[in-house]
Amino acid sequence: MVFKNKTNFSSNSFISTDLIRPQMTSLIDILTLLLVFLIQSFNAEGELVTPSSDLKLPLSSSREKPVPSLMIEITQKAVVSEGKIIAQNSSFKNSESLLIQNIYSWLNSKKNLLSDKQKKIIIQCDRDIEFNIVKKVLYTCSKAGFTNFSVLVIEE
Amino acid sequence: MKTTSVKTNGFIPSEAIEPEIDIDVKPIMNVLIILIPFLVSVAVYTNLAVIDMNLPPDVTAIAKNSLPSEKPKVKLTVVISQDYCAITLADKMLDSISCKKGEYPLDSLTLLLKNHRQSLEIKDEVIVASGDPILFKYIVRVMDACKKAGFEKINLASATQNPNKGF
Repeated sequence: MVFKNKTNFSSNSFISTDLIRPQMTSLIDILTLLLVFLIQSFNAEGELVTPSSDLKLPLSSSREKPVPSLMIEITQKAVVSEGKIIAQNSSFKNSESLLIQNIYSWLNSKKNLLSDKQKKIIIQCDRDIEFNIVKKVLYTCSKAGFTNFSVLVIEE
Repeated sequence: MKTTSVKTNGFIPSEAIEPEIDIDVKPIMNVLIILIPFLVSVAVYTNLAVIDMNLPPDVTAIAKNSLPSEKPKVKLTVVISQDYCAITLADKMLDSISCKKGEYPLDSLTLLLKNHRQSLEIKDEVIVASGDPILFKYIVRVMDACKKAGFEKINLASATQNPNKGF
């Protein structure tokens, strides 16, 4: 890449043809390093499980990869699945019963559509949720016939 | 970009100067400009993982179906309370660690679990029993410690005051 700096004056004797060469080597070095870094972090498989945006997942040293399954998100405000709010946390947080009726009936409707191998639930739970809420959701899932769970976490 | 030139020591006729060789970097730059934004958009900065867990089995149902002479095998239990973490086996408390400045000393817990695991009958299963007000992030941390100690199967239970209200 060469830029010619042509200076034409009225006099023919004063014609400058100096070449201005932008230094591309350092720029290409930076871009090459950036490219190597980005290719290294590129994952051809993509993320099979997408965490909900309004959740802060807990950190863990686990390296086990998630497998797509039925997902239940426990946010600060509600229990959500497939983008639908199934139950508001305020409606069952202080209740005596461990069974959450809305979640139970929703899971029962889903159960028939799933094969035995798929009867696993991935729990996406906010890191600052109290166990009181989590326990009620887990209990309801177990009553609906889902006994295997995976907790979604962010790798440290 | 390569430029060859002849160093001049005195006068050299114009024919002796080699022509300049310019490598055209434009295509490389074009490729990089397209490739880098694409890779930035698909780059994964947070890796997701899972911790598998189960709920503890219904001991009452197992006891009903088994012979009276058979004793159900007891598993090691880690009880998480707001002030401490306790390691129990059946009704015996084996160890306890106090919570320091709102954080559980997980390294010590892992060491203790490793030590107790040696003498257990069921070496790959542990029950993590948490109190109601415990935040989920601490439960995950304790599960991590159990995994590090060598327990592959984790059962999550409630460490409630009233045993009739538990799972």
